[in-house]
Amino acid sequence: MQYRFKTDEDAAVWTVDPEGTDRLTVTTGTQTLHVRHGAVSPHHLHLAVDGLGVNTFVLRGDGEKTVVIRGVPYPVQDADFAERKTKKKADRENLPQVITPPMPSVVVRIPVSEGDRVCKGQAVIVLTAMKMETTLTSPFPGRVTKVNVAAGEKVMPGRILVDIEKEAETDAPDEGR
Amino acid sequence: MFKKILVANRGEIARRILHTCREMGIGTVAVYSDADRKAVHVLDADEAVHLGAADPSESYLHIDRIIAAAKETGAQAVHPGYGFLAENGDFAERCEREGLVFIGPPARVIRALGDKTVARETMIRNGVPVIPGMNRPESDPDTLAQEADLLGYPVLIKAAAGGGGKGMRIVQARDALHEACVSAASEASAAFGNGAIYLEKYLARPRHIEFQILADGLGNMVHLLERECSIQRRHQKIIEETPSPALTPELRERMGQAAVAAARASGYVNAGTVEFLLDPDGRFYFLEVNTRLQVEHPITEMVTGIDVVRRQIEIAAGLPLNLTQQEIRGRGHAIECRIYAEDPEQGFFPSPGTIVFMQEPSGPGIRNDCGIYAGFQVPVEYDPILSKLVAHGEDRDAAIARMLRALERYVILGIRTAIPFLMDVLRSDAFRAGETFTDFVAAHFSDWKPARTETDLARLAYIADDLGGRRETKATGLPAGEHPSPWQRLGNWQR
Repeated sequence: MQYRFKTDEDAAVWTVDPEGTDRLTVTTGTQTLHVRHGAVSPHHLHLAVDGLGVNTFVLRGDGEKTVVIRGVPYPVQDADFAERKTKKKADRENLPQVITPPMPSVVVRIPVSEGDRVCKGQAVIVLTAMKMETTLTSPFPGRVTKVNVAAGEKVMPGRILVDIEKEAETDAPDEGR
Repeated sequence: MFKKILVANRGEIARRILHTCREMGIGTVAVYSDADRKAVHVLDADEAVHLGAADPSESYLHIDRIIAAAKETGAQAVHPGYGFLAENGDFAERCEREGLVFIGPPARVIRALGDKTVARETMIRNGVPVIPGMNRPESDPDTLAQEADLLGYPVLIKAAAGGGGKGMRIVQARDALHEACVSAASEASAAFGNGAIYLEKYLARPRHIEFQILADGLGNMVHLLERECSIQRRHQKIIEETPSPALTPELRERMGQAAVAAARASGYVNAGTVEFLLDPDGRFYFLEVNTRLQVEHPITEMVTGIDVVRRQIEIAAGLPLNLTQQEIRGRGHAIECRIYAEDPEQGFFPSPGTIVFMQEPSGPGIRNDCGIYAGFQVPVEYDPILSKLVAHGEDRDAAIARMLRALERYVILGIRTAIPFLMDVLRSDAFRAGETFTDFVAAHFSDWKPARTETDLARLAYIADDLGGRRETKATGLPAGEHPSPWQRLGNWQR
């Protein structure tokens, strides 16, 4: 069987030959590895690669697994799956960017009001989560059309906190439009 | 001695206090919020009382409910841990009034030292050197600007009620002062319920050195040597060690004497910490006194062999200290790494969530004060500290080697932690050389990413995991979702 792993440039194609339930031979393109493997627990796999033992810890995600080896997490992605995911992400990025909290938070301050003009990167809302303040900034120059929350309110990711209507950066106010 | 103690805190520190209570044969009461129904301190205590909603103001900061919980369960004393009500003079006074023993200094000492500007004045009067700066809080922008000009930029904005880096800002030039003051005051107000701020001269590249103090109510006072806590991010300590690589025996003696003098000047009783900044020329300046058990107290316990919490309880019960300064000897070297729920690759942004799997490190010289377990959901409402990993060795190199081994073995799946970052700090030449200053992280580790040198092994684990979990899926070419479960394949055997 073949695996295509996502790399920075392209994909790494590995050929895998399982042998029984606990052995496999892997050809990576540059080398051939002989691996013994055994699950210690659902997240703990012990590998012996060409005789050298190592403990690995696997967290399964959506088309991606995080593998922790000697304290360092490695995201490992199946390239076929990753391509589908990247396309979805690109679709999402074409949508207008919005002001939403990255995690469950509490609103501390809203330094802008409805009707205010804001430039790109200007602070529009200050949140606190886990005792740390975070400032969300406007993703583009525009006008604040609506403030949907009040200071002290608890907010969840996905909730649009401030509506900002996009305006061109260099545009002077134009009466005709 | 007390028969029962209520621990007015949560997570790892509540559990650590419960351990000593149990060793002393003292009954324990935990308190908890909605978010902490299954937290470690609830599971470890003899009794547990529900306080209210997850928000700290409805639970761990709610003085009436905590006092009621103590009365209801017949607790005689309250241990506040660190954070929450630990340095709240009103809470200490309320305990005293309600006939409960507050395990910490008296309310008047907490108040006098809690106001950083009052503390500065006390130290100046008693000949303890302080950092040049203001001796009273100020809110008027013009006065602050004048004071800043007088001190010379860069200046440091600090919260009068401060601690833990909250409400602290470095200001490089006058045009940034106003906005920084507003933001610092707001953060201080949210963290301490007091938005008062003041200015100090900002010292470049100092070390943070602090001394642990123990004082009984009978006039006996000792220090338990120093801790160096220079490795910080966002003004919050992440690695602490003792002894400090920067202290000579002579400097240690002088700083220790200054620490005891500072504690005496404030009429200190119970355990406390006197913090100093040490400049590259060996001059030290009083920073503040923390009137509580410190997060990093375990390293002091490792090298001195003294249980600081046990001493706190004994002092609160009126027992004499029975320790002389000559008896305090440090053995070996201890290092603590704070393990927070945070992502070091995303500017240390908090990373709450559910712990899916955990493997705790152990072995010679290792101690892990841990507040989590597999299946535990890390709440967003509180400080994201998960555990404190401590390594003790014969000397600094041995302690570093032990810490590295323990960090390698420490696995937490489900949320991000700074474990790989901490390992790279400990391996760095600067840390190994003891060149630890408060700008360490910014100077050596800004935009840090882990060196991912074992990608091939990670891919092998990916494959082995597939083969172990879904071997037939790959073999038959069925997509994972359509793979029949054993029950489906067993057909009628199911019933």
